[in-house]
Amino acid sequence: MSDLNKNLKVWDLPTRVFHWSLVILVAVGLITGFISPESWMGIHVWAGYGTVLLVIFRLVWGIFGSEFSRIETFSFTIKQLIAHINELIFLRPLHYIGHNPAGAMMIFALIFFLFGISTSGLLVLGGEENQGPLAGAVNFQVGDMASEVHTTLVFILMALICFHITGVIIEIYLTGENLVKSMIDGYKVIPKGKTAPEIRPSRPIAAASFLLAFAILSGSVLWAFSTMPPSGIIQMAANSDYATECGDCHEVYHPSLLPLVSWAKLMGDLEDHFGEDASLDQDVTNNISEHLNVYAAEAWDTEASNRFSKVSSDAPYQISATAYWQRKHTDIDPEVFKRNGIGGKGHCVSCHSDAATGHFDDQNIKIPES
Amino acid sequence: MKTLNKTNVITAVVLLIGGLSPNLASANSARDTIISGFSSVAELPVSAERGKALFESSPAAGKPDTPSCTTCHGASPMTSGMTRAGKPIEPMAVSVTAERFTDLKKVQKWFRRNCKSVLGRECTAQEKGDFLTFMSSR
Ligand code: HEC
Ligand code: HEC
Ligand code: HEC
Repeated sequence: MSDLNKNLKVWDLPTRVFHWSLVILVAVGLITGFISPESWMGIHVWAGYGTVLLVIFRLVWGIFGSEFSRIETFSFTIKQLIAHINELIFLRPLHYIGHNPAGAMMIFALIFFLFGISTSGLLVLGGEENQGPLAGAVNFQVGDMASEVHTTLVFILMALICFHITGVIIEIYLTGENLVKSMIDGYKVIPKGKTAPEIRPSRPIAAASFLLAFAILSGSVLWAFSTMPPSGIIQMAANSDYATECGDCHEVYHPSLLPLVSWAKLMGDLEDHFGEDASLDQDVTNNISEHLNVYAAEAWDTEASNRFSKVSSDAPYQISATAYWQRKHTDIDPEVFKRNGIGGKGHCVSCHSDAATGHFDDQNIKIPES
Repeated sequence: MKTLNKTNVITAVVLLIGGLSPNLASANSARDTIISGFSSVAELPVSAERGKALFESSPAAGKPDTPSCTTCHGASPMTSGMTRAGKPIEPMAVSVTAERFTDLKKVQKWFRRNCKSVLGRECTAQEKGDFLTFMSSR
């Protein structure tokens, strides 16, 4: 420690708050994305919005922040980066007061991938779930593709986070400087002989007005998008025969949950309907068939209408026999379906409060306790 | 506020009964019409006894999952039953569920289905009359 002396405030408060808030939001995003039940998807989405705001803030602060928060102070040339990596390989890194070239690259990469993850997430939300500002602008297919991009980027992000942490540990080891503590209290030490640079102060008012202008602009763009009605959701005329006759023994299934051929087959098999006679007068049968014909899965573009269209060949009109249904419900103990408050696999509404609308939003899933 | 006096209470009760009874009466007459429709073409006079036996028997001659009327309607007409898909069914006894068996179309539809499911055939007018008579006596 003898050759290190002067303490210098390097990371200003907004940069430090940004750093640790981002740590928290990314952790929340990873936990709610991979581990917690789907009903927590609302939190996941908010973590996503929060991340975008943080990243945007950081870019603005990269212009108006104090000396070492400014992007220009850690924009290195490729040559400098290679030199730095060489120094690392020979375990003799030079001391940098602000970010070193490897750290700087990491920051740009993190910001790039966080942007990609947030954008693709917004597309998944709008396309697959028909929620969020892009619900009207993005169809299911695009959302489905975005979902794969989203996952891939998240895996890259996790790798980057590992690199970042490893890098910090190595630098601490090699330079003897506690970088974690620096990111908490803001101080770094300046080696003897090195003069502290002139520190330009931050310009919070400029930053705030820039952010405000940006918020108004992007907010109104998103708002304009969000006024578009959700894509793939159509107005369905009421059909009292369907609602009463098909709701006598179980809940009324939303017509979007099965494709045309499945409904047609079901209506033809009513005399032996899941081990029961559910036959109807011919005119009522015709009326219901017509309703299902108009509003079957093909007429919609929702997650449920797309997923359940791939029906099981053994039970072509059983929603709960589709591969997607089975996959989504494997984690549920079979005993749970036998609970009084539930009443079987086919009783979707006991766990999906929005089942009657055909939406099946993640936020509306709740398994009754008894 | 004025407390309720006797005349008010009596008026209320009279109005209440007056308001309800036509409905009850019309429900009863609608049901009677349905029952007599069956009994008029039945061989024997309708019997609550035979209706009870039909309800409680387990012919298991129809579909394997529905051996008896009680599979869905529960062991007693006085209590609720449940469909195989888990939806509650109001008790069948008329004394508990007053609007039972008042819509001929509905009655016919369910006799057709449930008799086929349980007995493997349609019920006769005799069986229908017996069943409804039993349920009306409960
Ligand atoms: C007489 C009673 C009855 C009537 C009436 C009835 N169903 Fe069903 N339905 C059942 C039973 C029993 C099941 C199987 C439930 C189970 O296994 O949990 C079932 C299952 C279903 C399923 C599959 C649910 C799943 O698990 O994926 C669909 C779809 C369905 N019914 C549609 C209809 C339609 C459409 C009508 C109106 C034409 C109708 N049902 C009328 C008794 C009935
Ligand atoms: C016992 C409660 C329960 C019942 C009954 C049930 N579900 Fe689910 N469902 C869940 C749970 C819990 C999840 C979330 C699974 C997960 O976290 O991956 C889910 C997930 C889903 C999803 C995926 C939602 C999404 O956006 O990822 C769909 C669609 C769905 N269920 C449809 C149905 C349909 C249709 C029925 C009726 C035929 C049904 N469910 C019956 C509990 C239930
Ligand atoms: C598979 C289940 C099931 C079985 C078995 C069953 N029922 Fe039903 N039954 C129902 C359902 C569901 C309803 C309609 C629900 C309601 O009216 O509350 C119904 C209604 C009826 C009705 C019409 C009620 C009314 O208010 O008009 C009659 C009559 C009837 N059942 C007779 C029978 C008879 C007789 C048997 C035995 C031979 C039988 N049921 C067996 C499920 C069943």
